[in-house]
Amino acid sequence: MNPAYPLPGPLTQLRHTLAADTLKLKRTAALWLALGGGALPVLLNFLIFYFKGRYLVKAGDNPWLQYVGMSWQTASVLLLPMFVVLLTGLVVNLENRASGWKHLLAQPVGRGAVFGSKLLLLLALNAVAQVLYVGLLLAAGHLLGAVRPGLGFQSHSIELLPVLRMLGHSYLASLGILGVQYAAALIFRSFVGPLALGIGGIVSALTLLRWEYIHLVPYAAPTVVLRLMKFDPGLTVPAALAPAEWHSLLWFGVSLVAGYVVLLRRNVSQ
Amino acid sequence: MNPTAPLLLETRNLHFRFGSRPILHEVSLQVEAGSIYGFLGPNGAGKSTTMRLLLGLLRPASGSVHLFGHDLGRHRVALLNRVGALIENPSLYDHLTGRENVEATRRLRGVPAHRTAEVLALVGLTDNAHRPAREYSLGMRQRLGLAIALLSDPDLLLLDEPTNGLDPNGIMEMRELLQRLRQEHGKTILVSSHLIHEIEKVATHVGVIQQGRLVFQGSLPDLQRLQTGRGRLVLETQDADTCRNLLPGLLAGATVAGPGTLRLPWLSQEHTAEVAAALVAAGQPLYGLRLEQPSLEDTFLHLTEEAAR
Repeated sequence: MNPAYPLPGPLTQLRHTLAADTLKLKRTAALWLALGGGALPVLLNFLIFYFKGRYLVKAGDNPWLQYVGMSWQTASVLLLPMFVVLLTGLVVNLENRASGWKHLLAQPVGRGAVFGSKLLLLLALNAVAQVLYVGLLLAAGHLLGAVRPGLGFQSHSIELLPVLRMLGHSYLASLGILGVQYAAALIFRSFVGPLALGIGGIVSALTLLRWEYIHLVPYAAPTVVLRLMKFDPGLTVPAALAPAEWHSLLWFGVSLVAGYVVLLRRNVSQ
Repeated sequence: MNPTAPLLLETRNLHFRFGSRPILHEVSLQVEAGSIYGFLGPNGAGKSTTMRLLLGLLRPASGSVHLFGHDLGRHRVALLNRVGALIENPSLYDHLTGRENVEATRRLRGVPAHRTAEVLALVGLTDNAHRPAREYSLGMRQRLGLAIALLSDPDLLLLDEPTNGLDPNGIMEMRELLQRLRQEHGKTILVSSHLIHEIEKVATHVGVIQQGRLVFQGSLPDLQRLQTGRGRLVLETQDADTCRNLLPGLLAGATVAGPGTLRLPWLSQEHTAEVAAALVAAGQPLYGLRLEQPSLEDTFLHLTEEAAR
């Protein structure tokens, strides 16, 4: 027995849900975080090089290597994990705050579409933030060349390919945190719970950085992949994925399954 | 209930429990197409839980929900395509305007774009549609929630306490809107409330739930008939005790409500006339004789108290 009513296919459901979720982002902290998050590490390193660059760059050396390396370090160790924790929390909390789950899950879209739409949104916002970060980083380097010609940014350059590869590695390394935090946000249905988990995870990862199994910890992955950057003589970054990235992807996959099952089984009683 | 009318919504022996705490027992709702079904019960009786089961937000421990003749458990998405719902306080995104709130659900359901302006006009929010929802009064939020429920022009509307937070004027408007939706647009509406006088003015059918059990289900006239059966004849005389002793047969079921007041079940007009004639014939003064109808409220309380016992 099949009711003869038009039933939108799974992809149409996902498209509809995504269109709605995108609209809900308007004027939210999550959107501003994604658009502005990448600017902070760039701004900090721009100021460091602007005021103290002469102590950091040896005369005649390529300042880009030092600049990109330091910025990436600033961005990856604390800011990127923190960004992903806040972003997932804020996006999911849009529904918690509006008591939106009872409405959303009573609409004619499957729970898979609801789950997939928010996931795609998170992946996209994370990508936007990281791409903006790299764009701003390179732009700020050129700006340093103009305002601080003594540092030599204008007379040297940096190859784009290794920078883009590093962007890819950092993105993959951040997915483990994204998956765990997304599942946690769906399970806790609050903002504070997943935030506490995220901060705990980040602090533990930073404390355990010298542990031989640190590449298994998702919150450490963005820091661990920094080792892929080699600066001798120019910047080189291998294309192959590091173990930390594979583990990050594994965390991502396992968390998504767990988060989806939780959402699928949820009894919406409040 | 008229067995020939098609049932648009039906639950069969619905059971539900939170953990080990049972909430609903054998709830079998029958909602006919084209009716306004008032779902009545005191707070905590299981109305919201039932509504959530009807939308697939909760899974029943046993029993099933059938919408448009199909099992909700098997065809949830397709069936919800024809349902609009407002469950308790509407889910609104405070950072979005009224229009954007409607628009979010419109996109989600894939409804044509012109519907947004139409439903906003229908609930009288066009002029305030540009304001953020956080600035809305409780009544405006409720109306916005209703607009969102009406977006897809659904055949079945499930409204959980839709008059929550509305002022008397708003309650009247909501009532008129529900009647218009039924009469002009042929909608079937299930509306829950804990206030009988709100329901009796709009419902064609009534279900009463108490402590998770359906204690009455039928048409509004059925409920009114039940009420007539509980009518009381009140006699004002000189000395109630004397009267009762003089007419032990006729006044067998009478209770003495005051020194000169007797109260007895109302049976028929003939019986009333007989009692009056007999009293006068026995030489007792008859100062007053009136029929006391319990209000629907009393009937509702009586039903729910009986179930609670």
